[in-house]
Amino acid sequence: MSAFLDMGGYAAYVWPSYAVTLAVIALNIVWAQRLLKRSRKEALRRLTIGGTEA
Amino acid sequence: MAWTWFHRLASPPHIYRVAGRLTPWLAWPAAALIVAGLIGGLVLAPPDYQQGDGYRIIYVHAPSAWMSLLVYSTMAVAAAIGLIWRMKVAHAVAASCAPIGASFTFAALVTGSLWGAPMWGTYWQWDPRLTSELILLFLYFGYMGLRSAFDDVQRADRVSAVLAVVGVVNVPIIHYSVTWWNSLHQAPSVMRLGEPTMPPSMLVPLLMMLLGFTLFFGALLLVRVRGEVLSRERTASWIREALQP
Repeated sequence: MSAFLDMGGYAAYVWPSYAVTLAVIALNIVWAQRLLKRSRKEALRRLTIGGTEA
Repeated sequence: MAWTWFHRLASPPHIYRVAGRLTPWLAWPAAALIVAGLIGGLVLAPPDYQQGDGYRIIYVHAPSAWMSLLVYSTMAVAAAIGLIWRMKVAHAVAASCAPIGASFTFAALVTGSLWGAPMWGTYWQWDPRLTSELILLFLYFGYMGLRSAFDDVQRADRVSAVLAVVGVVNVPIIHYSVTWWNSLHQAPSVMRLGEPTMPPSMLVPLLMMLLGFTLFFGALLLVRVRGEVLSRERTASWIREALQP
C-alpha cells in the first residue's frame, strides 16, 4: 500500500494531478446543478409576476 | 415538410424535456468509465520503462486536455449555428460550454505542469503547446467576461459568439503545435495516424478515461442547457408545464 502511495517517488506530482482533476469534475457537477436550480427559481419568479401566454 | 422535425427538435420545451430524460444515460456510464479508468490507470497499468509511475499523470492530463479542445470546438460550432440561424438553443449550448471548458483547460495546464516538473525539470516553459493552451484558457475567460458585460442575454449571445468563432483558430494550432514546432511536449501517442504507441494495458484505461470524460461533458451540457434554455424563455405556458411535476 505504501509503495502504491509512493508512486515510485513521483507521489508529489501524481497525487496532486489526480486531486486537481477530480476537484474540477466535482465542481462541474455542483456548478451545473446550481445553474439549473437557479434558472428554475428565476423562471418560477417570472411566472408569478406574469409572463406572456403563448 | 422536412423542416418541421428540426424545429420541433430545437424547440425549447422539447430540448428541456429530452435533455432531462437523457442526462442519467450519459452521467452513469461516464461515472463507471472514469472509475474503471482510474483503477486501470493507477493500479493495473504497468509502470513506464522511462518515466516509472510518473507517467500515470497521463490518465488525468490527456483527458483534461482533450476536453479543453472538444469543449471549445463544440462551443464554436454552436455559436456559429446560433449566429447563422439565430437559434436560441444553439446559443444556450455555447454559453453552457465555457465554464466546463475553462475548468478542464485549467486542469490540463496544472496536471501538465506537475508532469513537466519531474520529467522536463521545469513547471513551465514558453513552449508552443503550453503557450497555445494557456491562450485557450484566456479565450474561455474572455468569452465568459464578455457575456457577463451584457445584461441582455440575446446581445451577450451574439457578441460572445463572434469571439468563440474567431478563437477557434487556436484549436488546430494547439493540436498541431507539437508537430509544427520543436516542442518539449511529446507528440500524440493515441490520436495519431496508424497504431497507438502504447501497449493495451496502458492504452485501455486511457481510452476509458477519454470516453468517460466525453460522456461527462455530454451530461454536464444537458444539465446546463436546460438551465440556459429556461433563462431565455419568456413563454409562460411551457415554463409552467416544465416546472410543475
